[in-house]
Amino acid sequence: MDVVWASLWLFTLLNVVAVAALSLVWLERKLLGRMQGRVGPTRVGPFGLLQPIADGIKLLMKEDIAPGSSSRVLFFVAPLLVFVPSYMVWITIPFGRDLFVRNLDLGLFFFVALSVLGIVGLVLAGWSSNSKYAILGGFRSAAQLVSYEIPIIMTILVVAMLAGSLSFRDVVLAQDVVPYAAVQPLAFGVFLLAGLAEVGRTPFDIYHAESEVVGGPFVEYSGAHWAIFFLAEYINTFMVGALGALLFLGGWRWPVGDVPAAAGVALFLFKTYAIVAVIFWVRATYPRMRIDQLMSFGWKVLIPLSFAAFVATAFQMFYGWPIWTLTILSLVILVPPIYIQLRWQRKPAMALAKHYAEIAVAVHAQPRPVPVAAVTEADAAPGREDDA
Amino acid sequence: MTTEQQHDTIDMMLNMGPQHPATHGVFRMVLTLDGERVLDVTPHIGYLHRGSEKLCESESYGQVVTLFDRMDYIANLNNELAFCRAAERLMSIEVPERAMYIRVILAELNRVASHALFIGTYAIDLGAMTPVMYGFRERERIQNLFEAVTGARMMHNFIRIGGVKEDVPDDFGPRVRQLIGQVREGIEEMDRLLTFNEVYLARTRGVGVIDAATAISVGLTGPSLRGSGVAYDVRKDDPYEIYPYLSYKVPIGENGDCWDRYYVRLQECYESLSMISQCLDQMEAGPTMVQMRRIARPPKGEVYVHSENPRGDIGVYLVSDGTDKPYRLKIRPPSFCNLVGLAPMTRGSYIADAVAILGSLDIVLGEVDR
Amino acid sequence: MTAQTPNPPSEGDGEPPPAAAPVHRGPPIAIAEEVLNERGERTARLLAEVVGPHAQESGGRDDLPWAVVAPENLVEVARKCRNSSELALDMLHLQFAVDYEDHIQMVYVLFSMSLDRKAILRVNLPAEDPTVDSVVGLWEAASWYERETHDLFGVEFAGNPDLSPLLLFDGFEGHPGLKSYPFNDYQEW
Repeated sequence: MDVVWASLWLFTLLNVVAVAALSLVWLERKLLGRMQGRVGPTRVGPFGLLQPIADGIKLLMKEDIAPGSSSRVLFFVAPLLVFVPSYMVWITIPFGRDLFVRNLDLGLFFFVALSVLGIVGLVLAGWSSNSKYAILGGFRSAAQLVSYEIPIIMTILVVAMLAGSLSFRDVVLAQDVVPYAAVQPLAFGVFLLAGLAEVGRTPFDIYHAESEVVGGPFVEYSGAHWAIFFLAEYINTFMVGALGALLFLGGWRWPVGDVPAAAGVALFLFKTYAIVAVIFWVRATYPRMRIDQLMSFGWKVLIPLSFAAFVATAFQMFYGWPIWTLTILSLVILVPPIYIQLRWQRKPAMALAKHYAEIAVAVHAQPRPVPVAAVTEADAAPGREDDA
Repeated sequence: MTTEQQHDTIDMMLNMGPQHPATHGVFRMVLTLDGERVLDVTPHIGYLHRGSEKLCESESYGQVVTLFDRMDYIANLNNELAFCRAAERLMSIEVPERAMYIRVILAELNRVASHALFIGTYAIDLGAMTPVMYGFRERERIQNLFEAVTGARMMHNFIRIGGVKEDVPDDFGPRVRQLIGQVREGIEEMDRLLTFNEVYLARTRGVGVIDAATAISVGLTGPSLRGSGVAYDVRKDDPYEIYPYLSYKVPIGENGDCWDRYYVRLQECYESLSMISQCLDQMEAGPTMVQMRRIARPPKGEVYVHSENPRGDIGVYLVSDGTDKPYRLKIRPPSFCNLVGLAPMTRGSYIADAVAILGSLDIVLGEVDR
Repeated sequence: MTAQTPNPPSEGDGEPPPAAAPVHRGPPIAIAEEVLNERGERTARLLAEVVGPHAQESGGRDDLPWAVVAPENLVEVARKCRNSSELALDMLHLQFAVDYEDHIQMVYVLFSMSLDRKAILRVNLPAEDPTVDSVVGLWEAASWYERETHDLFGVEFAGNPDLSPLLLFDGFEGHPGLKSYPFNDYQEW
């Protein structure tokens, strides 16, 4: 009986998560469209709401092609290896106070463990496709995703320390007065950036960049298999938003406290979609970073910052300082890197632009000759003489 | 990022084939890679070769103008202008002043449209997906004006030997002034999004550096050459049409990297817009086509004329034998010559840089292959 | 008298049709005057100094003087043009071939980026075996120009390391740039 109940819950969860991911597809296209001066999908259903379903039907109807020289079993297992872990994390994520499939005491740890599993699937996809572009994409994805796991783990540890528990529910319940985004803005910022890199979203989407490696590890997949990758990416994006909302913004609880379940779910979804909308906004604005710039950003900036957040939280907890000292401390740690970055990149470029404005060669107009007197009608008509 | 070569490694050949989203047309680059570093790049062209130069020998001069339209299909009017000037020089024709003003206005508008496309496609090659929409929106505005004036959005066949095909519509002046304002705002939007964007700067500064001496030896012209610090602009050094009567600035870079080439083109957009409004102020009524025979028969001789295309120096060498068809028409396509500079620029950079460098050269394959 | 049609079909007993001479209709052919302007005169004098005795013919139009040199002297003359401090022709703007049926003429258009100079060098090559030394050592731009000319006209460039086809596909037979290539058979006018 328990098994039946559990499988029913899992099935519902699969549907909910799939619908959420599809809604993200729609939201992204609409938001991106509006930001680019166009309207996005409008034809399929009211406001284009059925567009993701149309996309899904189209993808499922496509022919299943596998490269002849690829190893079939691995080729078809790789998408599953990417999709199943990203779906399984949702078992522990609470949408409301009592709305979850299983409240694991090791919820955060479970999440980290499963998100690493997805990397294996991507590398396998790249390798089993037996194509140079796929291999390149697979290498890049492995390097990038493994490197950016570290800041995520550290920021999750910060939250776990502040809440005193690894379970999602307890983390949200601990944010009754002040959300952890206000307590540790540094950890929030690092989590969002590292989450962007984990999901593979611009500016960190070089491993599946269309204009460079034409799809990276996904290049040889078509139809339903590609749809699984696509769905997994959007589920991951939704998860980053949901995690940000739960861990840092107070989930369904802050600032309203204990409310009926529906309102709590609405609040949670609102926060999630807000973070997701910011992720889409970043996609519309920024070009993508090159792989070595990405790696150096991760290792030289994000990882030290995440460690600094961890150490700051440890200090505050050990010495028992009031909670607002943590805010000040994290802002103090956050501001210098931003300032340095601006000075390092933008200021020299702006100075250079000003310099170029000065050295531009100015050409001065010469005086025009006196305009010819107005011509007569006969002369003005263009002549057309036929030759012999 | 590279380590000492202690192992026996094989260099990988990556084919950025004729079908690739970032090669701006049918163009094939074979990269020899060592990990992520590019050791050498071999461009393969000719996928779009249509034999334009040979075709010109069997077409009358009026028909040749249409061939030039289709060569560099982004800057049609500039190409038509180059050819018509060559034929006019050989025939010693003085084009009426109003026709020259119309030609220059259309050519500069085409330059802005071409640069708007360059900025948009360059941005999307690097991953920024918004400027391309803005760029194409500006192009739409300009092409609507072209449709009103010439009858076609792209292959105009409007600039003819001896002048222009017909006079501009009555609302040309106010319409173009309004257009200049709108296009300037659009270009500024793209400018604000891209020019000082941290990720964009990281992707383009210091990438694809070519110094002035190599650039000149390789035959680079246009904004790519000016990005390396050589202040050569045909409109300034070899002025033609009514360019001597306009005041403008020729933007120059210094470092010769991708950002400089992009910045030079961006500033050229603004300069072109100001040139157009000067032309509108100075333009006066008059004839738009010189009196001449319908079938052009240049006397026997040769002439070489070059003008400033958005991509560089387009040269037309016309050898005429006195008949109504050219004997030999050689086109110097700026993109063809700029592409020779791809190899020196790309050696030693990353794969992602290869895409950025190719984009910054702003090639059009129709012109490269003719 | 049998009625004769205006153009009797040739049955072998009439006169054979005349050899294919190009039918020229229209006004007589004019010849363009080649006049150098002031800038061109200055450059022509400098060019004459630099090229010296090697110039077989010279002339010019507007601001572009030209000089014909022999194929053996081409590289030397080109090097002098490039290195001369008064001419400083540091950019090979254009290099191509013109097929005059009995000979092929290679034209080199040279520009100076630093000074206000342009010049053209011409080389006449025999049609059966057009070979000339490559100038790729002087200007890197020549590499693709020569590849294209070799592809389309069949001119051999001694010293160019890579003369593989540039514009035509692999396996193309013949040189379509030459007048003898059957390309323009369809005459519209």
